[in-house]
Amino acid sequence: MSAIAGKFFNWVNDRLPIVNTFERHLSKHPVPSKVNFWYLFGALAAVTLIIQIVTGIWLIMPYSNTEEQAFSSIEYIMRDVDYGWVIRYMHTTGASLFFAVVYLHMFRGLLYGSYQKPKELVWIFGCTIYLAMMAEGFLGYVLPYGQMSYWGAQVIISLFGAIPYIGESLELWVRGDYYISGITVSRFFALHVVALPLVLIALVFLHLVALHEVGAGNPEGVDIEKYLDEDGVPLDSVPFFPYKVLNALVAIGVFMTVFSIIMFFFPEGGGYFIEMANFQEANPLVTPDHIAPVWYYAPFYTMLRAIPDPLGGLIVMAAAVAIFFVVPWLDRSKVASIRYKGIFSKIAITMFGVSFLTLGYLGTVGVTEVRKTMSVICTVIYFAFFLLMPIYTKYEKTGVVPERL
Amino acid sequence: MILEGTFKDKFLLLTFIILFSYSATALSAEGGPCKDYGECDEFKYSLNDFESLQRGASTYINYCYGCHSLKYSRWGRVASDLKIPEDIFFENLVFDKSIKSGDLMIGAMPSEESANWFGVTPPDLTLVSRYKGDDWIYSYLRAYYEDSSKQYGVNNLVYPGTAMPNVLLELQGNQRLVCKNIPVVAPNGGEKRDTNGNTIMQEKCGFLEVENGTGKLTKEEFDSLIYDLTNFLVYVGEPIKATRERIGWYVVFYFLIFTALSLLLYREFHKDYNKN
Repeated sequence: MSAIAGKFFNWVNDRLPIVNTFERHLSKHPVPSKVNFWYLFGALAAVTLIIQIVTGIWLIMPYSNTEEQAFSSIEYIMRDVDYGWVIRYMHTTGASLFFAVVYLHMFRGLLYGSYQKPKELVWIFGCTIYLAMMAEGFLGYVLPYGQMSYWGAQVIISLFGAIPYIGESLELWVRGDYYISGITVSRFFALHVVALPLVLIALVFLHLVALHEVGAGNPEGVDIEKYLDEDGVPLDSVPFFPYKVLNALVAIGVFMTVFSIIMFFFPEGGGYFIEMANFQEANPLVTPDHIAPVWYYAPFYTMLRAIPDPLGGLIVMAAAVAIFFVVPWLDRSKVASIRYKGIFSKIAITMFGVSFLTLGYLGTVGVTEVRKTMSVICTVIYFAFFLLMPIYTKYEKTGVVPERL
Repeated sequence: MILEGTFKDKFLLLTFIILFSYSATALSAEGGPCKDYGECDEFKYSLNDFESLQRGASTYINYCYGCHSLKYSRWGRVASDLKIPEDIFFENLVFDKSIKSGDLMIGAMPSEESANWFGVTPPDLTLVSRYKGDDWIYSYLRAYYEDSSKQYGVNNLVYPGTAMPNVLLELQGNQRLVCKNIPVVAPNGGEKRDTNGNTIMQEKCGFLEVENGTGKLTKEEFDSLIYDLTNFLVYVGEPIKATRERIGWYVVFYFLIFTALSLLLYREFHKDYNKN
């Protein structure tokens, strides 16, 4: 029996590079032997993506993408479909946690210079994934067709209207109607379940291929390729499988524990993961008291509100995301890791982190004069972190990076 | 150790988490959903108290269902979830005999006519506990007071200008806003006293008080009736809530074991290269 299986395997392997791929990307793929927990969020993002895809497929089956039935089909899933609530809460919790781990993953990149030469493309693919995720998340939030779906979409789509000359027709083109309607829901459904997932999967593939080409980084910023053994394998590395897989497995265990605590005990996440107003069916005649985005868009929403002019707000908001793409060329430091960077980099990244969180908080609450001033200050700090980077990274005194990990 | 990070790295993550949860709690302190009532009364649901849920369902169907549908919920599901035998349920709580067990509870009143009667169509209440919150419902239903300037002679502290008459008036009795003499609170939190040691009193208004003997129920009985009703609305807003919280423990327990086992496996394998 096993001889036949072996023959069959060889037959396939001669025609499909199974062993090669497994060795190249798993069992012989060298990764730095010492990394810290910040390096686990990438794997968690991959796990969440898989959760979103699988639960998404099962949600499509009972969901109805029409204006009349979108909202009630969600309640149908929650009540009449066997374990429909498990699938749906996994998807809503997964959406928020996807953003949470991706934000931490991106922050790791900024902390340890994971964008520096030769990893520019890995970083750029990552930024594009984030951009696609933002679109995917927005489109998905419209589908339950609750009050926040409707009015959130109203706000976001009207942003297109702020673009000069083509704005109004672009807005109409995106919406497919003069107001948000069943037509908007069904096209958003198509984009959310087919178009953007394809883009996301392709980008994740490119992100990983590029990463495996240039090799993963480490918190010391040591170049492990400098010291190789006789086979050309870096001395400070371990094979990805099984060592790093087991490492990730522990992280997945912790992550899934947190995931299930949220999903089974706090699925609305205190109104952050599912907003309370979204339990009311969309009503074009009644505007909710205050329209707040879900938490993961909040920092950018605050920037939009901080600028009085709609076009100006739109430009600032777009620039806030776009600026991530050029980070590899803004950082002029000789060292990668924050551990060996100078005091200015350390101050800058702390202020950036605090201002980003403050912007996020401000996006979920109503506007007052003090908050408006705070949001302008935080927006300035946010951009200063990036725009001043070429100066403070070039002229500050850096530490000495060790030779070995 | 799995977390080979320096103290500084952990400190950063901790700061991240603390700041995040800080901003999360800051939101909940925002604005009062219970308006003139002040802080909403806290409501603690008990979805395993089937008697409470059954009483709540009965109150709902007798007093509320005439105007407010529960259109995402099914009759038979309510009966089985609340452990009411179907024959007893249909005998006593379903007044339209053409209704079948699998039918949705779509209400008894045509929406166009009701809009004429009340000015607005009474909303469907299946999800009211999810978009208003249980604290809000529990406070709202107990915050009606006499106000002759209004269409139905009543107003509500939680929802000023509400279009709904106080359907439970005969049970609660005539509730009014009264003024009371109460002690002034000193800056230290105690009662403020004058130089002779007498408590300083001050007249304050806006207290709810039921006129004695006007209602069929005492205050405690009425509060408990509203408790059961709110409890039922929490159930109907998310029928699987109790199941969810029960299964949740098993899932969390499973992943804790999973984490422990993978940690052991991880340690075993890392003996290979962590010797030096």
